[in-house]
Amino acid sequence: MKLALIADTAAGRQACRLLGEALQRCGSTVILLGPAVEPAAPDPAWLPLPVAQLAASELLDQVDAVGAFLDSESLPGFLRIHRQMAALRGRQPRPLFSGPYRPLYGDALAADLLPRLGCDLLCLQGEAQLEELNWLVHGTPHAAQAREAIGLWCLPTAPIGHSPSQEPLLVVLDQPDVPASPFANAVLYERLCAVARTSPQWQLRLQSDQPLPADPQHWPETCLGWHHRQNRQPPANLQLGDPLDPLPGLIQARVCLGIGSDWLLPPMVWGKPTVVLGDYGIRTAFNGPLFFGSGVMRRLADCLPLDQLIGGGRPNAAWLDSRGWAIADGTERLLRRLKALVR
Amino acid sequence: MTLKLLLVADSDSQLLACQALADAARGHGAVVTVNAIPRPGTPAAVLNALEQSGPLWAMSASELLGDPRLDACDAIGVYLTGSKLAEFRSTYRLSRLQRRRPVRPLFCGFNGVVLERFEEAIAWRLGYDLICLNGPRDQARLDLLVRHTPFAGQRSVITGLVRNRPAAAHPACTSDERDRILVFAEQVVMPAAAAERRRLLQILARLARRSPDWQVLIKPRVAPHETTFHAVDTHISHTLREALGSAPSNLQLSYAPLPELLQRSRLLATVSSTALFDALDFGCRPVVVEDFGLRQDLGTPFFAGSGVLRHLADCDDLDDLEGGGDPDPAWLHWVGYHPDFSAANLLAALSDLGGGQGDQAPLQLCHPGYVVNAADLSTNQLRRGAEAAIRCRDYDEAIRLLEIAQLHRPDNRNIGRRLAAVRQRNRLLRRLALLVTPGFRA
Repeated sequence: MKLALIADTAAGRQACRLLGEALQRCGSTVILLGPAVEPAAPDPAWLPLPVAQLAASELLDQVDAVGAFLDSESLPGFLRIHRQMAALRGRQPRPLFSGPYRPLYGDALAADLLPRLGCDLLCLQGEAQLEELNWLVHGTPHAAQAREAIGLWCLPTAPIGHSPSQEPLLVVLDQPDVPASPFANAVLYERLCAVARTSPQWQLRLQSDQPLPADPQHWPETCLGWHHRQNRQPPANLQLGDPLDPLPGLIQARVCLGIGSDWLLPPMVWGKPTVVLGDYGIRTAFNGPLFFGSGVMRRLADCLPLDQLIGGGRPNAAWLDSRGWAIADGTERLLRRLKALVR
Repeated sequence: MTLKLLLVADSDSQLLACQALADAARGHGAVVTVNAIPRPGTPAAVLNALEQSGPLWAMSASELLGDPRLDACDAIGVYLTGSKLAEFRSTYRLSRLQRRRPVRPLFCGFNGVVLERFEEAIAWRLGYDLICLNGPRDQARLDLLVRHTPFAGQRSVITGLVRNRPAAAHPACTSDERDRILVFAEQVVMPAAAAERRRLLQILARLARRSPDWQVLIKPRVAPHETTFHAVDTHISHTLREALGSAPSNLQLSYAPLPELLQRSRLLATVSSTALFDALDFGCRPVVVEDFGLRQDLGTPFFAGSGVLRHLADCDDLDDLEGGGDPDPAWLHWVGYHPDFSAANLLAALSDLGGGQGDQAPLQLCHPGYVVNAADLSTNQLRRGAEAAIRCRDYDEAIRLLEIAQLHRPDNRNIGRRLAAVRQRNRLLRRLALLVTPGFRA
């Protein structure tokens, strides 16, 4: 099959890149399309076209189906233009598949799904998302919305070949918008400094979970990295990770820790000890509902000494399965559904 | 056996929910007392209505816990905001154990439809002997949240969304006998943006102009001097002046009680208020405003399958709007508006719990790898715990609790000062610092 995957956000691009690779392994031809996403580095694999131009482009006529993994706000505009252009040209619009490209749950999932209803195929991740979709469309004109759970396709969950660093490394996932106040980030940063000082044999790395601007002057005050740069005497064993890509740091890590980042899921799948910081409780704004059942929540104070984390932090397997980890043949499922659509 | 229930609430919407629950439970033979925790700005009309329907107490939570009449209740229903819910559960149990009094079953619920943050709300409610849910939809959401977790044994019961007893008390009149009135049930934050609130009023005004033989009554959620759960700067009366200048003569604000309006009006419109179900109770045809689309921040996705979504801007006039269909019965059942779901289910579940003997073990909330808000995560609980630890000279525990409290409330200077004091390594300096910094008393 010839498929186009479209994204307009950093997370969407990453998800599409992973899906594209999986589809290619199954024999499909995939083109990646979408506007450049700042501050991520330009990627030559992507054809840099603005969303509106893409929606009207004849390029899409050359593929069997289009995966529109656009931000839920820009998706309706894309659909409108694409369908209108197809009607003007007297052609059928391309079969469109879409879905959340992050492991969303609860309110965030509902908000993301609403604009995607009506696509030819909705790609979800696991049983939990399927159930939530059922509640959302129960009794509505979208009750028969075509859907398929294709696993945790949007995150790098393939087994990793690298070995962890020699020195024990704790990677702290830094979410530039969580907590949402600079002051709250300052307090958390101070506590992480205290953890670093009490654990001199460990390396701590603050790893942004999304690309940060190349110039640190433009980093938001709501990221831990900003506070680290203000600190004139940071602990010697507390450093910053690669501001553009969290993956290498997570691969090297002995233990991963975060509040509610999507990037907590790959280390859980890889079997690395992972901690979801429980100090903030279950707050929707902190992605708490997603990790409620994870089985790896604990408070920062209970993480000390850090050595005790090495043998623990295994997630609740049933919870991880219902997020999508139980689905091993997601790409094949997607291709089967797309072939049926194209016929 | 006649169950004696006490319902505890503070804000106006919680009190209204308690009133509905009290009326329904009394209808099934229970004896119900309501305790309205005093709070500035609570609408007098809400308190008056409670007083007229049955015994009403007005004690603070701490006064209530010290009142001997508390032990005469068979079960206690707590209708407070999240952190206060968890705090009440924990202080109630402690106070009963300290006084060597029986621990009665505690239940809690929701004060209407839950449009957002359901999981967060459940995380505050875990540990109650019973959580009252609105309907099968919320039951499914609870089940998914706690499935495969140590909290899968959390008990719940569906008590439904029928909040008024119209058939006996207020026989519903037919549409022809009703006034040609559209009641718009305002919500203070849906929509929240000022521009959208103005647009909403403009849509209603145009509809009023197109329907000269109808009256459009906007029912504000609260009067300008009253408060509700959400604090807002701009009252709807101000937005009305701002958006319309001069409103059409058949569009007005009305502060009459909603039940009264619903009994004589033909139509109720709302963005996402629970008033939709009140309208059904009173035989008034409900309509959900779809002009802003189905948006999570407006709560409108909840109503997606209702069959009563309407674009008001596209309606010819209010006669056209009145000609719309009834709510979908399957959807009503799904969300909990059905005779199967009522306070009778709560009373039966409480009887199953042991007839108010409180002999069921409460759900254990502390499990390695799991955090629930209800455990000890309210800031006040953390501070109280820290003070207890300081009294026992367990300074490490006090630091731990205050550090979490500071993460929750980084802007609270007293927490910061107390934490700095307890961190002093020199015993004498620490003692002095603890003396001069404010401890927590609430």
